[in-house]
Parts: sequence; structure tokens; C-alpha cells
Amino acid sequence: MGAAADRSERSLVTCDDITRMYQQNESRFSRGGGNTVTAIEDISLSIDTAEVVGIAGPSGSGKSTLMHILAALDTPTSGTIEFGGTDIAALSDRERTKFRMETVGLVFQRFYLLQSLSARGNVALPLVERGVSRRERRQRAETMLERVGLDDRVDHRPRSLSGGEQQRVAVARALVTDPALIVADEPTGELDTETGKRVLDALIETTEDRAVVIASHDRRALDRTDRVIELLDGGRRE
Amino acid sequence: MSRRARVTGLVGVGVRQLVGDPARLAFAVTGVAAAVLAITLLFGVGAGVVETGADLTEQSEFDLWMTGGPVELSPTSIGGFRNPVTDAHEMAAAIESQQGVDVAVPMAFQAIYVSTDGQDFETVMGTGVGGSGPLIELQAGTGFTAADTHYADGEYDGELTSEAIIDPGTAAKYNLSVGDTLHVGGTISLARETTFQVIGISPTFRRFHGTNTVALLLSELQTLTGSAANDRATLISVRLADDADQSAVKQRLTTTFPEFDVRTNQEQITAILERQALVIAGGLGLVAFAVLAGMALSLNLFLSLIYQQRLEMATYRAIGGSRESVLVLALVQALTIATVGCLLGLVITPPLAWALDRAATAVTGFEGLVQVPPFAYAIGAGIALVFGVVGTVLATWQVTRHSSVTALTN
Repeated sequence: MGAAADRSERSLVTCDDITRMYQQNESRFSRGGGNTVTAIEDISLSIDTAEVVGIAGPSGSGKSTLMHILAALDTPTSGTIEFGGTDIAALSDRERTKFRMETVGLVFQRFYLLQSLSARGNVALPLVERGVSRRERRQRAETMLERVGLDDRVDHRPRSLSGGEQQRVAVARALVTDPALIVADEPTGELDTETGKRVLDALIETTEDRAVVIASHDRRALDRTDRVIELLDGGRRE
Repeated sequence: MSRRARVTGLVGVGVRQLVGDPARLAFAVTGVAAAVLAITLLFGVGAGVVETGADLTEQSEFDLWMTGGPVELSPTSIGGFRNPVTDAHEMAAAIESQQGVDVAVPMAFQAIYVSTDGQDFETVMGTGVGGSGPLIELQAGTGFTAADTHYADGEYDGELTSEAIIDPGTAAKYNLSVGDTLHVGGTISLARETTFQVIGISPTFRRFHGTNTVALLLSELQTLTGSAANDRATLISVRLADDADQSAVKQRLTTTFPEFDVRTNQEQITAILERQALVIAGGLGLVAFAVLAGMALSLNLFLSLIYQQRLEMATYRAIGGSRESVLVLALVQALTIATVGCLLGLVITPPLAWALDRAATAVTGFEGLVQVPPFAYAIGAGIALVFGVVGTVLATWQVTRHSSVTALTN
């Protein structure tokens, strides 16, 4: 307990013994009959500000589940995940949504950009929820696109951008709210080597006042991180 | 950092989502317009039938209708109908002598054969009118020039006038004008030997049937169709004196002639509608179907609209968007589509109703069968709007109820 408290004081995020179990194959006709699958079990870790942490492991090892919990998209079945002294696992859905808006930047493997919006519109999207004025949204989005090397693509729609460019738009979207934590799930999974490198550059260059967690199969991506947490069968590989 | 900036921003994103897929937008607007049209036009058909029936009865300028029971089909007899009123001329005279009654006109309807050359015959509706007949709206020629002289106090041996008044449809079909002759009879052989002269062209009698009509004096039609023996008629229509109290006269006639049903115009329409229970049930079914179809179409359309955007909505939720914000995004689209679709449906309704009415007139002969009442527009628009919003809210709530993870990882 003392060690955990000490770790929490120094860390941006602290997970203690988090376990996530799912009910599989349960339907309204077979309530209680589903199988329980443990995606991750008793995982403890801490992540500090300015740290780039890699999460590695084979498919099914629990990487994505851990990433979703770190990003407050999901909650553990048991255990605590503290962020600035708040157990985000205990927050309501509304509170976790607000937490994500204020604290977390997300990068997905498949980009998940809105096809109807320009690159600028996609980057500015998180600022809409924050009630930022239109002029400021445009300004901040353009600044962020310039930072990831896409200042000549601000008005382009996602389908007219390459995969690498789309992922850099997604990185700019994650960074535009200046979040304390960036969670990137397989950010280079659908990109070639050179493009992947540029995306990682954009992600890692901005870590001076935030933490970045990158889940990846890609050894070259993991090599860019400060340390790597290896998962195997839902637990940390010792 | 303001709520206003958030809402205007969400509206902007919602509009971009909407116009970002023009095909989806066009289909959705068309779908809502179709839902509105389904309601307005089907309502229009139901309302038009009732309204037209009432109008036609009112246009006849009679105040009361006296019948002795339903007209029975009699396929084996000449004329095809067994009319319920017997001793029609005497009855009409007795009714006309009552206080408050100005005119009582016996009328009979029978199918008759007509031909211009005595070779090719077709059946049309024959209308026999007694007494001085109803007020006739003439487009050409004159009304009957003599009274029902052939009746001859029930002997049916008076002079035949051989005068016919035809409707504009018959005139056009057979290229007839005033002064031309027409073969008329209850049977083809009788029609070959009998000619009538067209003395007038009038739409008045067509309004009773909605089909091509040849009007003759009652006794002459009875002779032609073999119904003179019992002096049969379909009904006796009554026009009241100017200062007569309709309900008092009706009560008096009911008491004096208990074998008759005495009805006002509205009651006559109601009686006709009651006899057409199957038609009415079908009409009501159509209206119910219109409402249900409109509701289902709207609901399904908006559920689909939102379901198609579940990834975008999950993305917005994942990056910190609240459920309320996603609802605003969805409602901006739904209300825009519903409003444009409603307006389109309402604007298209009158020309489509007119076209439908023309088609119905061509088929049935009656005009005004499709009349869209103002409340049908309101119901059409209301259902599309309300169910659009309800569908959107339900779908959005359902889509955002699950974790974004579920949508983004499946």
C-alpha cells in the first residue's frame, strides 16, 4: 500500500492490480450461461509525465484492453486506475467522458476520421466539445497540422489523403487539446515503414509535458519508446 | 469556451455530416417526402370520396330523399335493377301535396342500351325523371319540353315525347349534339326500333352515377325497361318550399308515409356510406395504413440514418463528446431532413392530388374524389417530423448506450 501510494505521488497514471473480464456468448435467452474471459489480470504499472511507454505483446495478450482502460474508454472489473489522485475506474460514464475530453488524446489504428470534415475540421473536432470559438478552433487546428507537416493539406478530406497523412491528422487531433496523456493503439499498424516513422516522430516529439503510451506489434515503434511493458495472456511478462 | 460556441460548432459538424453524403441526403429527403405523400394522398382519397358524395347530393338542390329500401340487382330482368318504390307517380303527387313541399320528383335508374346507328349497342345508365324533374344545369339545348305525358294517369298510353338529355361524356363519346337521334331501349331489339332525340346536354344526371348517362322522362324509361306495371322508381326526391322547416316536413312525411325512409342530404350520404361498409372499411384501412406507413417509414429512415453514422458517433464519444452532444449532431441532421422532406412532400401533394383526381375521374366519372383537407397536410408533416425526431433520439440513445470501444473495435 505504501509503495503504491509513493508510486502514485510521482506518476501521472497508476494502475493497481487491474483485471478486466468479459462475458462472452451471453444472450438474453441464455442469461448467465456465457463464458467469462479474462482479458487482463492483476496488472500494475505507472506512467510518468514526459515518458513514452510501449505496450507489447502478441494478439490476444490484452494490449488493446489495457489501452482502452488507460484511455478511460473502459473500466476494469477490479483494481484501481488513478490519474492525478482520482480513481477513474470509479467515475460515472459522464465523468469519464469529461475526463477523456480534458485529459486524454486518442490515436487509433484505423484513424477514425470523419469523412465529411476537412483535415482542419477533424483536428478541430475535440475543441467543439470544449466550446472553443470557431476562429480559435481553426487557428489551433492549423497550427497543429503545421506541426505534423500537413500545413498544405488543411482543406483536404480524409479520402484524398494517404494513410500516413490521415494518421498524422489523427495525431494532430489527439494533440490539439494539449492532453496530459496520449494513448495510441497500433498507430503504425496500417502504414509502411517510412510513413510509420513520420507518424511516430509527430507523436514522440511532443512529449515534454505529457505521457505517451503506444501499443504496437511493430518492434521499430517500440524501439522509439523509453520503456516497454510486455503482456502475455493478459498479464505482465516478467 | 462557451456553450454557444459548442452548440454552433456541433450544428456546423452536423450540417457537414449531412451534406458530406449527398446521395444519402437525397434519399433521406425523398423518403420523408414519400412518407408525407403517403399520408396526405391517402387521406385525400378518403376525404374526397365523402366530400364529393356530399357535394353531389347538395348540388342536386333537393332537400329530402325518400326511399323504400335498397335497390336490388336483378340480372335477369330488363334494366338490371329492381327499384324499390312502387306507384311512384301517385306517391310523388301525394308527397307534393303535403304542406311545405314544393316539388317531389320520382327518379328511376336502369341500365339501357344505346346506339347511334342501330347496329353497335353499348349499355349506359338510364335515368328516368318524373314530374317537372330536377333543376337541370344545361350546357346546350333545353330541358324536357313537356311533362310526363306518356304516363297518362297510369295507363302508359299517352304520347311519347322521345326526348333525351345526355351528359357531356355521352355526347363526346358518340359525337352527339342537340337535335341528333339516338337508339335507346331496355333490350337491344327494342332499342333498334326506338329512337330518341337529344334535346339537351347536361352534367346534372351524371352526378348521380359518375358515368355516362341518358335521361328520359320516367314513364318512358319505365316502358322501355318493363317496369311500368308497378310504376317503379328508385327514389323520390323532395324540394321544400322556401319558408318550410326541413325537420318539421321530414317528421310529417315520415309519419304520413311510414313505408319510406325520409332522409336529409347528410343522412342520405350516411345511408349510402353505411351500405358501402366494405368500401368504408377499406377507406379507413387505407387511412390507417397511410398513418402507419408514414410512421414506419419515418422511423426506419431515421434509425438507418443514425445507424449508418455509428462509427462517427463512437469516434466523437471516444474523443470526449458527451451523449447530449452526439444527440445534437443527430438532431441537426434529422430536423433538416425532416423539414426539407416535409416541405417537399407538402409542395408535391397538390399537383399529385390533382393528377390522381384526374385519373380517378377518368376511371369513375366522378370529379373531386381526391381532395386533400388542410388537416391532412398537418398530420402528414406532423407524423414525419415527430417520428423523425423520435426515431433519431431513440437511435442515438441506442448507439451511444454502448461503449465506444464496442463500435470502434467491431
